Formats: sequence, C-alpha cells, structure tokens
Amino acid sequence: MKRPLDQLIRRDAIHRDVYCDPEIFELEMARIFDHTWVFLAHESEIPAPGDYKTTHIGRHPIIVNRNDEGRIGAFINRCRHRGPTVCRNELGNAKFFRCPYHAWTYDNSGNLVAVPMPQGYGADFQKDELGLAAVARVKSYAGFIFGNMSAQGPSLEEHLGGVTRFLDAYVATSPVGEIDVYKGYQKCAYNGNWKFQLENGVDPYHVGALHASAVTPEALAIYRQGKGAVIAMDGHGVTDHTDWGPMPVDASLSGGFNLVIFPNLIVLRSQIRTVRPIAVDRTEILTSVVRLKGVDDDINVRRMRDQEFEFGAAGTFFADDLDIFERTQDGLSSNAVEWAVFARGLDREELRNGYMTGFMSDETQHRGMYANWLKMMLANAPAEQPQAAE
Amino acid sequence: MSDLRKEVETFLYREAALLDGGALRDWLALFRDDATYWVPAGTGDYDPREHVSIIHDDLAMLSKRIERLYSGHAYAQVPASRTHRAVSNVEVRQDGDGVVHVDCVTLIVELVRHRQTLNSARTHYRLHREGEGWRIGFKRVNLLRSDEALEATAFLL
Repeated sequence: MKRPLDQLIRRDAIHRDVYCDPEIFELEMARIFDHTWVFLAHESEIPAPGDYKTTHIGRHPIIVNRNDEGRIGAFINRCRHRGPTVCRNELGNAKFFRCPYHAWTYDNSGNLVAVPMPQGYGADFQKDELGLAAVARVKSYAGFIFGNMSAQGPSLEEHLGGVTRFLDAYVATSPVGEIDVYKGYQKCAYNGNWKFQLENGVDPYHVGALHASAVTPEALAIYRQGKGAVIAMDGHGVTDHTDWGPMPVDASLSGGFNLVIFPNLIVLRSQIRTVRPIAVDRTEILTSVVRLKGVDDDINVRRMRDQEFEFGAAGTFFADDLDIFERTQDGLSSNAVEWAVFARGLDREELRNGYMTGFMSDETQHRGMYANWLKMMLANAPAEQPQAAE
Repeated sequence: MSDLRKEVETFLYREAALLDGGALRDWLALFRDDATYWVPAGTGDYDPREHVSIIHDDLAMLSKRIERLYSGHAYAQVPASRTHRAVSNVEVRQDGDGVVHVDCVTLIVELVRHRQTLNSARTHYRLHREGEGWRIGFKRVNLLRSDEALEATAFLL
C-alpha cells in the first residue's frame, strides 16, 4: 500500500488510491465487508419456508434462506468437505442442499445431515461440527435482510442509525405499509470501483449535467430551486427531498428521498439496488423493482416501466452513469493528479437534527460516508497488523 | 425459398442496416403507433406486468429513447456504438390476413469504449402488411445474456 490509510481521506478530497489500489480493495473486503451489516435480500424475495437466494458478502458466496420453520438464516455457500458451492441457482426452494461432488447433504438450517459411506471416517468424525458455516448475524429491518460476518460490533439498528426513519417512510409509501418486489432483476456491471455507485446514488449535483439528455425540464427546475437537503447520516448518505412531498406513489420525480446504506444498499424511487464489489475496478449491481401493496396494479406497472426506461443497463439515466463510472476509473488511473475534490458545501453545511446537512447539490453526504469508511478501515485492523506497520 | 420468407428477410436486412447505420429515426418509422419493443430480463417467458424487464417500451418511450441519443449528451453513446448485425435462421408463420410472426437469430457485434462485445439474441417480430411493405407491431429481443450483468447498453438492439 502506497500511503497510510489516514492520509487517503482529506476533509475536502479523496485520494485516488481509494479507488485504484488493489491492496486497498483487499483491506475493504476484510475490514468493511467482513465487519459490518451487508444487505442480502428483501424478505419478499424468499417469502416461503425453504425459499433461498444466493448472493455475496464481499467475496463470500452466500445462501440466504428460510428453514422449514420459516426462520431466515444465511450461510457460506461452500461445502465443508472440499469446498464447492452447494447451491448453484440464483433463487429457489430447497429442503436440502446437496453438494454434487461427494453428496454431502445439508438441511435448510445448515446442518450436515448425510455423508455417503460415513464408516470411512474415524470415530472422532463430528458431523454436527461440519454444518454450512453460518453468517454470524442475520437480521431484518422493515423487510430488508442484512448479514454480518462478525459477531461483534453494533447491532443492525445501531448501524442503520437515523436511516431507519427513512426505511420506515419508504415502506409507508404503500397505503397498507407493505411492499414486495417484482420477480426478476436488472443486472448491470462496470469496470470501475464500487464506491462510484455509492457516491452516485446520493449525488443530485450530477443530475443536471450528466443526465441533461434524460431529465425532464420540470424535474430539473425542482432540482435547481434549492429545496431539499443532503445528509451525512451515521455513515450512510441521504438526499432528502421530502420538502417537495413524500415518496411519490405515482411515477414522478418530485418528493421522496434517496438512501445509500453503506456499504452495499441503495434505495430510491421504486428500486432496491445491491452493489457487489468484485475487484478494485469491477462492480456489479442487482436491482429489484418494488411493488406497493394496496396500490392499483396499473400504477405499480407504470412505476416498473418508468424504472426500466430510466435505469438498468439500457436506462436513459443509468447507461450514462455506468459509462461515467468507467471514464472515472480511466481518469483516476493517472497518478499525475492525486485527489478527487469533495469540497462542495463545506462552508455552508450545518448540524441539523444532529446530522451534518448540506444544500441539495452539496457533497456533505459523501464526506460522511468516507469518514465512516476510514473509521472502519482503521478500527477493524487485525491486532497483529498494527497501523504503524503499514 | 418461399416468396413470403424472402420478403420478410429483405425487411429484416433493411432493419438491420438502419440500426447499423445509426438511422434511428428511420428505424422508428418501421414501427406501428401501437407497437411494443421488449428486451426481457431472463428467459422472457413471463408476463411483463409481473416481472422486471431490461426494456419494455411503447412507441412514445422508444421515441424519447431515440431522440435522447440524437441530443449529443447521451454520454454512454458518445461516441456511439458501432455495430454489425447478422440475421439468420428466419422462420415465418402467417397469422391471418396481413400479419406474420417471425422468429430469427440476431448476432450483434458491438464496438464501444474500445471493447468488442458479441450479443446473440433470439428475436421475435409481429409484422403487419401495410401497402407494399411491412411495419413492426411487436419486437422482442431475447438476449442470450439476458440474465447476466450487462455493461452500459444504450444502443438499440
């Protein structure tokens, strides 16, 4: 690693190594993704006992499922015998996960229940210690399921902090207070760092520029009125436009909010986006479209059609985001310029309701996310690798 | 070869040439006002009111999508993708008076951001006889990669 961690984040700028250094990426996997709450699925993706979805926590392949009693759990998708993934589908329903290689078989609570020709193992073979490795903590908030590889650290609610209020409001967009997701995903990828997507999910400043060809003049006028706020909220990013109106039920840009829940969940309009870091310069995004229960089917379908039109790999907004992420990685690959500027609003942001808050086009929310990034990167350093040695 | 299939193939080659040539407004004029342009996510064997798609445009949406590309500010297409299309394995089924259903394989080689991507699709059309020619009432592009993570795909398929 070229620079000490605490010299990568300035009050007004982020060092290019944060996006370009493969060693930083390895540390992010170990110190962020292995130590914090990572979004896995919405409960409606696995509604019934036995339902499962495969996903990732950082580099770990994960099965998140419901056991026969309907309890939600998450496991490392890896046979305890020789290592193959035991589940090869994206979604499904299973009472058992059987590794095809030697037929070690696990139930949907993760217990190893069958091993062919068990007499070949000695008397000290402990089948009950060879269940699928469980994700240390699995918990839902408002239907959003998170997993944490570490048994220590903040609870999910402590981690979400003030964002819980926004997740509550998001679900309350439904007149009956319930949402689910449509079947199917929009899946996107780009050759760039995962944090570009996190920055971009709460970045009103770019909308009038990058998206000039896609944004409606009415929406742009609202953006430029100076209403709304950006909030650095407990390490997460919020753009709060509720002063134009609550999260809209009908398809419209006015009102609502965008949430970037560090490190891998974005909630805005009718979409739930999961960010998957693959390499320092490779990222995938999985997007579900939300259906509001108690709302007319035609309105929900209109929201889905609008989502498809604007987002996804072909979206009139999102194709340009995916492109600019690649261009950003290209530009940052030059070490002739070291810093990316995050100074907007430094002189006008203020504490409001306990959270640093800026004008709609400011970068307060990004500064908050990177302060949290640095805190995690320093705090979760293993004791045997003291900071001084870096 | 039947005259009908020959005629349909000629139409499909012309459509491919318009797309490869970037003549998107001319391409749009091939569609009927009530047409649907659909790129399913996954197999496409689903009701698009119950499942997310990559694209599901009516003609007004498709027209907006295309005008944006002419704006010069659709940055994922600055510079625009260059494409070569091959249309093959064409099967035509007559459906009453002046309507045909067409299935074919479309191979689209795209060059953008200095990368070449090969997209293969099974494409389905409903074509309507109008005067001497045909117009598209429905086009569904089932990409082989429809369930994979796609990089920016702002060009028309």
